[in-house]
Amino acid sequence: MTKTLRFCVFSLLSLGLVCACLSGCARKEDSSIAIWEQMDPEEQKLLDSRLAAFQASHPGVKVTRLHFETELLRTQFQTAALAGGGPCLVFGPSDQIGPMSTMRLIQPLSELLGRDFLSAFMEGSLDTLNGEVYAVPDQVGNHLALVYNKKFVKEAPATTDDLMALARKNTVDENGDGVVDRYGLVFNTVEPFWLVPFLGGFGGWIMDAQSRPTLDSPAMVKALAFVRDLRIKHAVMPKECDYQQAETLFKEGKAAMIINGPWSWGGYIGAGIDVGVVPIPKVSETGLWPSPMVSSKGYSVNVHCPKEKIATVKELLEFLTSTENQLESARKIKMMPARKAAAEAIGSIGDPFLESSLAQLRLGRRMPVVPEMRAIWDSMRPAFQNVLNGETTPEAAAAQMQKAAVESIAKMKE
Amino acid sequence: MKGRGTRILAHVFLVIVTLATIYPIVQIVGISLRPADRLYSTSLRVIPEDATGKAYHAVVFEKDFLLWLRNSTIVSAIVTLVGVALASTAGYVFSRFRFVARRFGLYSLLIAQMFPATMLLLPLYVLMKGLHLLDSMVGLAVAYVATALPFCVWTMKGYYDTIPKELEEAALIDGASYWRAFRTVVLPLAAPALAITAIFSFMSAWSEFMVARVIVSTRTLYTLPLGLESLSSTFQTEWANYAAGSVLVSLPVVLIFLFLNRYFVSGLTLGGVKQ
Amino acid sequence: MRASTEKKLFPYVLLLPTIIVMVTVVAYPLVYNFVLSFKNMSMYHYYDANFVGFRHYSSIFTERELYWVFGKTLIWTVANLFFHVALGVGIAMLLNGRIVGGGVFRSLLILPWAVPQYICALTWRGMFNHEYGAVNLILKNVLHLAPIPWFSDATWAFVAPIITNVWLGFPFMMIVALGGLQSIPHELYEAAELDGAGALGKFRNVTLPLLKPVLAPAVVLGTVWTFNNMNVIWLVTGGGLPADKTHILVTYIYKAAFTYYRYSYAAAFSVIVFFLLLGFTFAFMRYFKITEAVFE
Repeated sequence: MTKTLRFCVFSLLSLGLVCACLSGCARKEDSSIAIWEQMDPEEQKLLDSRLAAFQASHPGVKVTRLHFETELLRTQFQTAALAGGGPCLVFGPSDQIGPMSTMRLIQPLSELLGRDFLSAFMEGSLDTLNGEVYAVPDQVGNHLALVYNKKFVKEAPATTDDLMALARKNTVDENGDGVVDRYGLVFNTVEPFWLVPFLGGFGGWIMDAQSRPTLDSPAMVKALAFVRDLRIKHAVMPKECDYQQAETLFKEGKAAMIINGPWSWGGYIGAGIDVGVVPIPKVSETGLWPSPMVSSKGYSVNVHCPKEKIATVKELLEFLTSTENQLESARKIKMMPARKAAAEAIGSIGDPFLESSLAQLRLGRRMPVVPEMRAIWDSMRPAFQNVLNGETTPEAAAAQMQKAAVESIAKMKE
Repeated sequence: MKGRGTRILAHVFLVIVTLATIYPIVQIVGISLRPADRLYSTSLRVIPEDATGKAYHAVVFEKDFLLWLRNSTIVSAIVTLVGVALASTAGYVFSRFRFVARRFGLYSLLIAQMFPATMLLLPLYVLMKGLHLLDSMVGLAVAYVATALPFCVWTMKGYYDTIPKELEEAALIDGASYWRAFRTVVLPLAAPALAITAIFSFMSAWSEFMVARVIVSTRTLYTLPLGLESLSSTFQTEWANYAAGSVLVSLPVVLIFLFLNRYFVSGLTLGGVKQ
Repeated sequence: MRASTEKKLFPYVLLLPTIIVMVTVVAYPLVYNFVLSFKNMSMYHYYDANFVGFRHYSSIFTERELYWVFGKTLIWTVANLFFHVALGVGIAMLLNGRIVGGGVFRSLLILPWAVPQYICALTWRGMFNHEYGAVNLILKNVLHLAPIPWFSDATWAFVAPIITNVWLGFPFMMIVALGGLQSIPHELYEAAELDGAGALGKFRNVTLPLLKPVLAPAVVLGTVWTFNNMNVIWLVTGGGLPADKTHILVTYIYKAAFTYYRYSYAAAFSVIVFFLLLGFTFAFMRYFKITEAVFE
């Protein structure tokens, strides 16, 4: 063989050996418990400190956490679990339970953790699917509320008529240059999540007791018209208002009111805005309170989590959702606890934000966790946007939503 | 280039295009300097009134930026070296030799690129798990080399096609082996293409996210794109940190390009062989 | 004897590492998807997926709306490639001549490629904002034109990601063209001038044929990558705004797989896209004779 040929063969073989070595070294015996989560930065910090405390009191146990953005968390966990791997615990919003349990990626928890364990949590915080619980709730909330800048709004509105008047009053062009300097009311008009409170306020809901979509209803038409009027008729918000836009305007003091959830309130305080929070005001026409969706976020257990680790996992879950820790979260990041004992002690903290949050939470309605939810959101979104652009009438949009939802759900079950 | 007028026009055009090109980048720098994580701004001011360099400090010292940098550098360096080595040789073969299944080989290099990446991720995970390459730099390097090779091999081949065969043939007649002829005559002339291959391979590893997300699930192995993504949440992304990180991440790329720039300058041409 | 064995073995030895890497990483995922496309795997049928033959294929081909989406994908791809190549090659040719500060220009013009795509796309999205975005502000205050409703109008919402993607993609073409231009000896230009060729003639007879072999892979792969590029459209339009009207084929596939969990349907869709692109590549390569050498 020529020199070069020998050289080539030799380098190929050595490369192969190096690869084998490296990959062998990379595979250490993994005795740690992994948590994949999609928490906000503040929550992550709290989780880190709690994991440190847990590991300090349980020598020999290693717990790691990995952060993902919500959608990515879903797809990555699916990929890993479908292939037989993935973390022992996955933390996320309740709507991930539906698909994950249907695909048998997470374990039912009543047997695994025991009825006693689960009964310590508030009834309303445990989501059941087909009679089973799949997540240990860490918090209840995710509900939208009305947040206002006290500099511009002295008294919070009590009804939607008040709200509209206040919003119109606060949409001003202060220096007369033709550009609006302050908007009255802004919120994310891209996601139907922000439409749902008004749907409830007009007396409707997205699905019936059998989880069938009920999007084509007079309540939906009215809710769509309401939001559309806010944007087009009264022009109290910019033309294309998405989440980031609403945030920017409010944080810069260029919007008097915003509708957003508890995860965002800390950010406004941090930006120096003097904020107040109240439940979204009663709908004048019906006298009903708008019902934003309320959901829990919690920990689910991967079906592939080895049996040997389950005892430690149970202790870890007990610790992470302990009354103490949940109250700490309430104090520091305004999160509503799911454990009964903690919820009862909320009043003792004396935080006005928490009390407003609780008030809104009581008026909210539980977000369904059935897998069909994805299809429903997906059908609502385009029709919602069409109405806001003035391209469809609310009646046509409601019909369109319902049709699309029914079709998508059928295709999912094919 | 003839005529002063044309030259001035050319410069003006380049200045306009460059300004338009860097404006969004300047915006990103602006985001990195804004406090309170504001992605958008209602003013056109690039440097905000309350500008602060806190984000840069936070990204480098409070987050694991240096760790991500180390991992990305190692993986990208491996991918660049291996990519250049494999592409320069395979491209040469496809250019100079006629053998059975040559066309088939060339086309089959491209087929993976045509498949929408989203559907390849799950089987890729299963494959890497089976090969025990998950959570390893080798796994990442292998996946990235496979991503970069098709373009690199084709480009090298294309460049070799523009180098007349007479040059090596002269060397072969003089008694050199195939390898020697390749290494001493052809390879130096293909420097610009090697530079393209190097930059492309580097970028395939340095700025790639999806494959890294699938293969890596330990924080100690995070590459820069994964690290940056860990700063984002559904609604509350740390925008200032993210923007600062992005600015820092692009600096090495510019540096590498500056380093390789000399291969893109006229002067290293053939000369010596008249057509 | 030695020389001719070496001659026979040389190409295969050089090719072997490349073949090993490609086959290992690529073969399994492709086969997996092909097989998957003939089953009915979805959220409700994950563990008990059966073979259903061509069912998904026929439902895809008979859905009218998808042809419209295909058309939009074509527009997306062609518009992008056209500007990528025009800008990339044009700027490269300028930079290849005597330019003051050429190095500075090049380093700045590569920035769109260097800065992570995610934040670039989101920044562009902000720039297209109706009231506060830089684009409309410039239109209004500098050019005195009406501001454009970028995301509430379906057409403009399609133009916005095109502009963004052109910005993101031309540096790549520019680099490839710059590299390719280095292989063209000055003597050829001089010879062409002596023969009386003007700028256009020089371009057609000298530049283009020698640039073709190097530029062609970039154009073909660029087309394929753009056709399958989901991120830019998704990020700039915020997920298909307005009202799902800015979808291209690949965003459909993503939704089918990850929103509706219809894995087999998505796999079938992907296979169709694959063959479309394969056909295009074949046709393109043959027509422009890319696989042959320049001097043969």
